[in-house]
Amino acid sequence: MWFEDIEIGARREIGSYTFTEDEIIAFAQKYDPQVFHLDPVAAKDSMFGGLVASGWHTAAIWMKLMIDSRKDDTAKTNDASRAGVSPGFENMRWMKPVRPGMTITYTSEVTEKVNLKSRPKLGLVKSLNEARDESGDVVMRFTGKGFVPKRPKA
Amino acid sequence: MNDLYHFEDFTIGRRFAFGAYTVTKDEIFEFARAFDPQPHHLDEDAANASMLKGLSASGWHVCAMTMRMFAEGIILKTANRGGVGCDEARWIKPVRPGDVLRLEVVVRAAKESARHPGVGFVTFDCNVFNTHEQVAMVSMTPIILKRGA
Repeated sequence: MWFEDIEIGARREIGSYTFTEDEIIAFAQKYDPQVFHLDPVAAKDSMFGGLVASGWHTAAIWMKLMIDSRKDDTAKTNDASRAGVSPGFENMRWMKPVRPGMTITYTSEVTEKVNLKSRPKLGLVKSLNEARDESGDVVMRFTGKGFVPKRPKA
Repeated sequence: MNDLYHFEDFTIGRRFAFGAYTVTKDEIFEFARAFDPQPHHLDEDAANASMLKGLSASGWHVCAMTMRMFAEGIILKTANRGGVGCDEARWIKPVRPGDVLRLEVVVRAAKESARHPGVGFVTFDCNVFNTHEQVAMVSMTPIILKRGA
């Protein structure tokens, strides 16, 4: 997939993931040791009323599913120099808690394509990424940014 | 943990510094296997051939390590009511195995909640420095805090 092939408005489901209590706790122990991410009993007395995943965990799973969903394309091109590199993201919001046992479905929609004067071989693609619970409520949203190579000139 | 800091303690411009966090190759691989299995985070040869010219941590891993430093430095000592997200994060320099990261945060904005009298919103500018004192990541992070008694 080259920059030229990407269409603004293209939206796809990138995958679903069921969060387990063990994984929520393991992530929290390493990176986000707040009591409502860490301890199912103490979390009951927190404002969430129970254990919830770190927002960074919910975001990291987006990355995992995104890479998994691109495997076919990556295998076809088989070119490490075309690996996805990102300069960052914007407007990440954690709107609803993600609790153990919940299955979260992630979607990504292309919203903007930017030509880069400083990097003629690359374009920047912006995307609106959303994660929804089983009722369809958005639990997380952010604008992703990724460099995508342009088709080499013949 | 005691609530050492409340909303009122975060006056605009106040600066805090935390860290350090030593980034190991094993942890880069471990995070990448779980969450960002791209060749430039998993394989040294592929990483050398990539745009980042060497093995580097996933940007999401840098966010997670930053969260850890932020939690230990402020959040766990604070009357915290939860994070709401991250306004912006920019991955400026690759984070390499052996880097010792540190975090500096500055209060960018502080606003009492109009709807909830007991809490306020504080936004921090976060700067993550690498071993060479170069800024590796910047982010803008709002959190909700309880007001003091």
